Amino acid sequence: MQGNSPDKTTILLHWLLAVSILFLFASSWWMLALPLPSDEFTYRVLPFQLHKNIGISLLVLLVILFTGSVNAKNEKVLKQPGWVQKLALLDHFVLYLLIVLTCLSGYMSSSYSGWDTSFWWLIDLPAWSEENEALNILFSDIHMWTCWLLLAVIAVHTGAALYHAFLNDGIIERMFRL
Amino acid sequence: MSSGLTTESQGDNNSGINWAGVIVVLFGLLFAASQSNELMGLLVVEPGSAADQGISAACRADELEEENLSQRECELMVANVQIVLASRPEWVRGLMIPTSVAGALLAIVSIVVGLGLAGHRRWATQSAIYCFGLLLLIDLIGFFAMMNTGPLLRARYLWNILLWFFIHLCMVTRSFADRGSGNELE
Repeated sequence: MQGNSPDKTTILLHWLLAVSILFLFASSWWMLALPLPSDEFTYRVLPFQLHKNIGISLLVLLVILFTGSVNAKNEKVLKQPGWVQKLALLDHFVLYLLIVLTCLSGYMSSSYSGWDTSFWWLIDLPAWSEENEALNILFSDIHMWTCWLLLAVIAVHTGAALYHAFLNDGIIERMFRL
Repeated sequence: MSSGLTTESQGDNNSGINWAGVIVVLFGLLFAASQSNELMGLLVVEPGSAADQGISAACRADELEEENLSQRECELMVANVQIVLASRPEWVRGLMIPTSVAGALLAIVSIVVGLGLAGHRRWATQSAIYCFGLLLLIDLIGFFAMMNTGPLLRARYLWNILLWFFIHLCMVTRSFADRGSGNELE
């Protein structure tokens, strides 16, 4: 019925990505209200490290998800008018692009901040250079603005998914097939 | 458009997606993120930590510039933690850590149940009541725990918990209604 549907791994990755991104939004707003770090005030250590770990993991998940998505053609979408197909393609392209930009800018900002990044407390990732305040602020700004844009695109993506669910036109079915 | 959690499954109309399952998935994602964040907050903000000891905020000029903060905001960030520590009896943390763990895990289970409901799976219809009922219980535990904290924490938590309570109440009553009306499918 669905033609070349995505496999279960791709479907699970899609939802894992969704819950991870929502957690990153919720936790980042909360953790940025924690006291600034010092020798005594260490409240930010765990949340920031976790934030970076999940963010970097998202990049890996995204590559796997992208591969699965490219191989799976949604024939229901192919039957839609041309402008709808273009809009769907644009939505996914912008979504993927913003996730990549958000993750990379976050990593770069952290790299120039002088703080170490230990990937899941196992692998120490290299810093790109010595601490550089100007570049840290630049990448931090890029990180913040790509985050806001990402949130807006997620809202559009979710709205479109709900619209197709209410229409029951079969467009989103394949991402809900366990 | 289907009318509920399982109505589309009646007769031979078991095609397409069940929109209520889609909504369950959406709320499951949001609740999982919310509970995980709450858990992290409970773990990080410990009694006896720096803010609890009355240590002054460390507000370096470069950090203030980097985060676009005023000196006053920086100081209030410590006060923010002190509010939590001062308003939260120790037993609340002991109760809410396992509750948040359970809430996050149940939220993930509810995502799976929602996926099953969206695809008209029989096991999903059968397990929905238990899953959503437990989510409702998590809300109630959180509500009663926060009722017994100070006014500062009540102001932060109670309304949010109440919103989740009514969302989960909608989900669980719909599941009951489906079961009661025999829309149990397949």
